[in-house]
Amino acid sequence: MRRERGWILIPVLAVLVAVMPQLRDATGFATSYVILASELLFWAALATSWNLLSGYAGYFSFGQGAFFGVGVYAMAVLTVRMGWDWWQAILVGGVLSTVLALVVGFIAFRLRSLRGEIFALLTLALPFILLAVARLNDAIDGGQGLTVPVPKVPGWIGTPQDFFFVVSGAVAVVAIAVSYWMSQTRYGWALFAIHDDEDVAEAIGVPTFSHKMYAIALTGVIAGLAGGAYALRVGFVTPEGTFNLRVPVMVIVMSVLGGRRHWAGPLVGALYVMILQNRLQTLKLEGWSLVILGVVLIALVLLAPDGLMSRFARRRWTVAGVAVLGVLVPALAGAFGGDFVWSVASGLLLAAFVGFLPARRTEAGEAGSGAVAAQGEWADAPASADEVVVETVDVKKHFGGLKAVDGVSIQVRSGEILGLVGPNGSGKTTLVNLISGFFPPTSGTVKVGGVDTTGMRPHHIAHLGVARTYQIPRPFPSLTVRDNVAIAIMFGREPKSLHAARQEAERYLALVGLAGRGDDLPGGINLHERQLLEMARAMATRPKLLLLDEALAGLNPVEIDNAVEVVWRIHRSGVSIVLVEHLLRVVNQLATRIVVMNQGTVLASGEPSVVMRDPQVVSAYLGRSADAQGH
Amino acid sequence: MEQAIQAAISGALQGSLFALMALGLSLTWGFLRVINLAHFGVILLGAYLTIEWAGPTGLGPLGVLVVTVPILFVVAAVIHLLYDRFEVSELNSLLISYGLLILMIQLVQNYWTADFQRLPGDINPYATRSVSVGSLIFPLPTVMAALFAAVLVVGIRLFLDRTYAGRALQAFGQDRQIAAAFGIDHRTLGILLAGASGATAAVAGTLFTLRGTVTPDSAMEWVGLVFAIVILGGIGNVAGTLWAGLLVGAVSGLVAVVWNPATSPLVVFSLVVLALIFRPQGLFRRKAAH
Repeated sequence: MRRERGWILIPVLAVLVAVMPQLRDATGFATSYVILASELLFWAALATSWNLLSGYAGYFSFGQGAFFGVGVYAMAVLTVRMGWDWWQAILVGGVLSTVLALVVGFIAFRLRSLRGEIFALLTLALPFILLAVARLNDAIDGGQGLTVPVPKVPGWIGTPQDFFFVVSGAVAVVAIAVSYWMSQTRYGWALFAIHDDEDVAEAIGVPTFSHKMYAIALTGVIAGLAGGAYALRVGFVTPEGTFNLRVPVMVIVMSVLGGRRHWAGPLVGALYVMILQNRLQTLKLEGWSLVILGVVLIALVLLAPDGLMSRFARRRWTVAGVAVLGVLVPALAGAFGGDFVWSVASGLLLAAFVGFLPARRTEAGEAGSGAVAAQGEWADAPASADEVVVETVDVKKHFGGLKAVDGVSIQVRSGEILGLVGPNGSGKTTLVNLISGFFPPTSGTVKVGGVDTTGMRPHHIAHLGVARTYQIPRPFPSLTVRDNVAIAIMFGREPKSLHAARQEAERYLALVGLAGRGDDLPGGINLHERQLLEMARAMATRPKLLLLDEALAGLNPVEIDNAVEVVWRIHRSGVSIVLVEHLLRVVNQLATRIVVMNQGTVLASGEPSVVMRDPQVVSAYLGRSADAQGH
Repeated sequence: MEQAIQAAISGALQGSLFALMALGLSLTWGFLRVINLAHFGVILLGAYLTIEWAGPTGLGPLGVLVVTVPILFVVAAVIHLLYDRFEVSELNSLLISYGLLILMIQLVQNYWTADFQRLPGDINPYATRSVSVGSLIFPLPTVMAALFAAVLVVGIRLFLDRTYAGRALQAFGQDRQIAAAFGIDHRTLGILLAGASGATAAVAGTLFTLRGTVTPDSAMEWVGLVFAIVILGGIGNVAGTLWAGLLVGAVSGLVAVVWNPATSPLVVFSLVVLALIFRPQGLFRRKAAH
């Protein structure tokens, strides 16, 4: 849990962008370098904007060219045909692009059935629609292309090339600052959770729809601004040059190369790709650049999907040192005929090489095997007044002809542990999904604390006090154990910052006995621990009711005893529990009341000892002959 | 009115060519769970190889299929070996095949240049001919595309329903693990199916050259329309793909004539969005087999 200090780079970059025109006179930096740097910063901005939605949230978009293109054509049309100033045009371009992004997002994210693949394909079509519109519409372009006038350059900047550099740089600084800010706040973490498992994110209280909309809006606004900066810089725009295959290729390769989970990933990726392209041009091999980028993309996805930043982060000082030396030594020695870009290329190559050296085996900490006994101050809450926490009224859920749940009315009261039992396919998990809001009921109502939750989104129901675990644990695989819990705290009823949530997470880890495992990834802990993590994460939403869906399945007897102890502890802290379970030993041990389901209906309900002797229950469980023999 | 009928049927015939392109994509997506954008690169290769070889070999554009079908069968099978070897997820297959597609487009451009290419008139007797039905006239290449598409769809449907390999593939498409547990050799079947989709790409590429010009960027221009057809037809549903192709073609033909050509992509993609909202399984849902 190292504190992130990389943000210092952002003001440094901002200052560099602002003072470069002055420095250039002093140092005699060639104009060609300024042009290269403007292009680099433009691509860094565009790739970063792509990464906000597609990297952080995992919603892959091939449509970045469309958002970008709206900015390009806003600049071109407004300055050429309407005579606006460049700064008005760039802002309007940002707004228009945001509007397009919001429309796309509203259509795409409203569809429950829409998977990431379909989203990607829909966005693939977007630039081609706009291409046709721009090409055939004389008010926009009409197929001839537009020449953007060179604006009047402010006195403190100097040449137009410096001016374009400053504009592109300003957009890049904004983009990277937004990306950094998101990665440190709830807005970014919501997207990380959506990336890993959108349903679970919703269940622990993340409003997934609105966060996807924020992300796509930010993607749109930054891409629109970058498009305006681009149009200004290149001076001549055509529909084919704007809505083409180059933009999505570049932003995807840059982000995948640099790293999609890191705010600086697209910037680093842009640096590598731009230097590569520049060198291929000097070698007269431009025709191979897309071939190389294609190969790089394939190799990265297959072999190093995390990208460079995740490699660099492990040994940041070594990498930075090697990179600086790799640039400075050849530059000062006058190697490569004094061509500075070759020196940069050599520094980048060395850095990448160091990044990909095999890691020293770091010892896996104090190998805390198995769950530790719980510590922490979990006061036993006094049993609150006898009130109904959750109630279902004649609730039904039919899938076509299958009546999974067919008219179930149950009440869960405060202080109860309700054992929900029944044969496979009797509708227990469907009932859990109805209560937590993942399925809308076919008919009937579900009330949480007296509030009718029909039609509510699951995150809303989570905020009312319903938490759940999954039969097969579904931790967020790319977040540490601690952050899995922290994210539930961040998106609780009262929003919390990442820092505060991480500290508070330790309490919940201690509650279930996972203290000391906080830095592990979910892939590195065993099934029992993952089930405990499910409980810790659910508890972190501070529920009134916890739905445990076969939370003890597949454990050995020792682990079961430990898990039962944890469930007791949770219950004593004042949480009502619905326990879906097949192990009758566990149910008898824990449940204060039992509801038996069979074929979607309630078969029996009452005291455990009474219900389990009910002949109907016995026959549903063990078959008629067992009943006849009086077992 | 007659003009509208003419436009709708001409459009539908053109749509059948896009359905032919969509066929292989739909099959590998539906049965092998890979979204193979490289399919468009294979079609592009089919088109360029037809132009390259039809004249010099004396085979003519259709005769060239004897050579291109096996070659592209192998190309597509080799690409699938890559997906299979690394067990790529659906989303990653999209990314990897995107890399392959830009690579293939660039290689085609490096070899054949970015200029428009077409079959010389003397070896493409189909381009100028047409079929007339009453007062309606249809260019021969689009009629041929429709015939090829119909034959392939019927053939693939029969293969899937009547042969062991076809049924095994259907089982595999529904649940990989269960199918594997029943002893279905998915590797071999998957590679054969991917190869077969490469073969359909060869046919689609050749038929595309009969109609007119091709550039390396043609591949990207096909993507939107073809995926619209795959999704509307229902992923993995071969007959649905053909119907969707005819429908999309007819609609865009009609819109282009009645309204204006610029709006037809807008109309088609609005159709796709509506279909996704109301019929996420595709327009023509096959009756469940169980």
